[in-house]
Amino acid sequence: MPLENPFQDPLRFERRVPECAMVIFGANGDLTKRKLLPALYRLAYERRLDAGFAVLGISRTAMSDDQFREKMLASVKEFLEDSPFDADVWAAFSQGLFYMAGDFDNAAVYPALDARLKEIDASRHTGGNVLFYLSAQPSQYIPIAQGVAAANVGKGAGWRRIVIEKPFGHDLASAQKLSAELHSAFQESEVYRIDHYLGKETVQNILALRFGNGIFEPLWNRRYVNHVQITAAESIGVEGRGAYYQEAGALRDMIQNHLSQVMATIAMEPSATFRPDAVRDERSKLLRSIRVMKPDEVLQNTVSGQYGPAHIGGEDVPGFRQEQGVKADAQTDTYAAVTFFVDNWRWAGVPFYLRSGKRLPKRVTEIAIQFNSAPLEIFNGDETTTAPNLLILRIQPEEGISLKFLSKRPGAGMKLRPVSMDFNYGSSFGERSPSAYETLLLDAIIGDATLYTRQDMVEASWAVVDAVQHVWNETKFDFPNYAAGTWGPQAADDMLARRGHVWRQP
Amino acid sequence: MGTTGGTIAPDHILQDMANLWVTLGKQGEGDAGVLRACSMTLVVAAEESDDAQGIGETLAALMPEHPSRAIVIRFRAEEQRSLAARVFAQCWMPFGQRKQICCEQIEITASDASVADLAPVVLPLTVPDLPVILWCRSPRLFHLPGFSALAAIAQKAVLDSASFTDSAAALKDMSEAAAAGRLIADLSWTRLTRWRELIAQIFENRAQLANLPLVSDILISHRGTATPATAYYLAAWLTEGLAKVGAHPRIEFRSDGGEPVWRLSLVEMRAQGRTDAIASIALTEGAAAEVRAGDLVNKALLPALNDYALMRGELSIPGRDAVFENALAAAAKLALS
Repeated sequence: MPLENPFQDPLRFERRVPECAMVIFGANGDLTKRKLLPALYRLAYERRLDAGFAVLGISRTAMSDDQFREKMLASVKEFLEDSPFDADVWAAFSQGLFYMAGDFDNAAVYPALDARLKEIDASRHTGGNVLFYLSAQPSQYIPIAQGVAAANVGKGAGWRRIVIEKPFGHDLASAQKLSAELHSAFQESEVYRIDHYLGKETVQNILALRFGNGIFEPLWNRRYVNHVQITAAESIGVEGRGAYYQEAGALRDMIQNHLSQVMATIAMEPSATFRPDAVRDERSKLLRSIRVMKPDEVLQNTVSGQYGPAHIGGEDVPGFRQEQGVKADAQTDTYAAVTFFVDNWRWAGVPFYLRSGKRLPKRVTEIAIQFNSAPLEIFNGDETTTAPNLLILRIQPEEGISLKFLSKRPGAGMKLRPVSMDFNYGSSFGERSPSAYETLLLDAIIGDATLYTRQDMVEASWAVVDAVQHVWNETKFDFPNYAAGTWGPQAADDMLARRGHVWRQP
Repeated sequence: MGTTGGTIAPDHILQDMANLWVTLGKQGEGDAGVLRACSMTLVVAAEESDDAQGIGETLAALMPEHPSRAIVIRFRAEEQRSLAARVFAQCWMPFGQRKQICCEQIEITASDASVADLAPVVLPLTVPDLPVILWCRSPRLFHLPGFSALAAIAQKAVLDSASFTDSAAALKDMSEAAAAGRLIADLSWTRLTRWRELIAQIFENRAQLANLPLVSDILISHRGTATPATAYYLAAWLTEGLAKVGAHPRIEFRSDGGEPVWRLSLVEMRAQGRTDAIASIALTEGAAAEVRAGDLVNKALLPALNDYALMRGELSIPGRDAVFENALAAAAKLALS
């Protein structure tokens, strides 16, 4: 048998995708309907999946294969967003959709699952490769992984991988416990912890910008960078998820995972190659270099906030404590801002300000790298003539990069004004960017873990966040401390002002 | 803005372009201004009778992804030497943005007799430090004496063998140019990318890959009566790939008539003694295709690609394409055999 496909043409073809079956635990859930199936259909539409690709959905609800297909058809049509729907492509793709009902806590489910997978492998030629996707409650991760391991589900000629969604624990100890229990069933190299932020085009583009260009890297250090601001703002509130969010909070829900990973991508050292583990090693090293705050440093370098009620656009907006399912005295942080320092030669002394919040004025995620001002002000102007250079990396909603610098105003005299050089991802490439789930699902099928987080990365970011969370847990905050529709508590501005900085208004 | 008369001076055109940007900047003032974008010089050589509006629309569609300084040269079959030029801008407003993005375009009209005068005009008009791509839309121009000097300015020349009346002769000409070291691209090859990718994808599956050495016969059906370059390319590429796994199949070309003449309608790979095909791709209705890999049947879309889609693909590959060059040499040999 030939070992290599002789028809590959990497210059013109997309990446090679092996045959496989994907088992979705929680196939009747929201994530499957809103994200996973639309992303898989889109991959099929783009001819990115093997002809025999199959999905086996499993959840408690009793359904036939055909009922599952009907349900998924409705979801794909509803959540396809900017993509066309083609009935013929769906007809062929849906032939590979299968379903079985089962309780994840019931050990008898797993031998049945294995038998079903074997049938699918025989009819769809999936090569014995199985991708398990846990779109289930985090409390079910371990029972599922252990059930799969005990029944040797999918174990045979091909590979097995397992994808899990955040939260990866709720603190360092629980994250370690989760990893240890997962490792009783899967090796670390088979565990794919998904962080959809890393699948976004602009986050990946940070690597291209930094390591594909020669002009930025010499500036990318404490000598030229004054400070870095990473903002992830949401204009919406908890949207009916009050009960869940009450236990999580912005620090755990956003900063521990998404924003820490973005920060690591911004600040990591160049890897020697672009192999998954080489890139992840560098991310991990950076996360381990973030200084863990001592208890007496926490309140000076962090801000916890919670939104109160407001009147926005003619509408009364409830405060967090008025949201359904939320306790009247909840101490949950719906806003978190932190100042991190990286203890390595490149970044020593450079503050990294991270903030994330709900009910802020708009939905935006961006990274602003502020460079030092010119060492000497020779133009005798106002504050605009000394405005620092800023490199803005916009992650959403309009993915792109802007560089702000000063330019002479036309006319007599030497008057300067800031101008912006913009690169807009959508307009510059004119083509639709794949969704984060398309990118990450394809990566998992191909076996490229570059954009997935690893155990050591998760634990390193928990170590940093735990130090903050412990102090916050012991502190009684005077909540609410910001009105919905504003940029967060005054204390967050004060935190930057102590170092002579101000938050950029995105 | 324009320069008319029997001759044109590159300096005047460059001055016109500078003035154009000042004008655009003034128009944009008060809003967010204009952004000049450029990633290459794209020289388009076309017949005067060619669809000017169609070319303009294709260039406008290409600009957001491949912003370039476009130099469109329209040739008139005339013995008197004459040249004329005008400059203008193609602008678009990216979705959700306030700032217009603009690319400059130069249109030159030239008589056949002036072809030798063109290279010294075009050379100073190319953007420094960026690649120059020539898109030659007419086989007649490719054979004009003196055209090679214009082509030599470009790093890569894009042709379309489908527009040649004799596909075998076209493949021979292009193969010779490539053998001489020229970077050539053929849109007939670009049309095959989706077909080839589907075939490659079939054999990513290990069960299907195991069948490859068994392939003994390949059938390629096409529209039109004469075998088009696309069919020769596909046959050459398949033969080369199969040789790597020890298979040396017989190739059969079959015409099933109809339009467009270069369009393929079926490719089928069979093994001796087996009733069913190892793999096949067959156009069904419209752009839909049925992809069979053993007992698995799938659907894919294989729309006929327009100039925009074809050029978009080619402009993404400014450098050498070894797979194409091998296929070109083998296809020329096959067509001439």
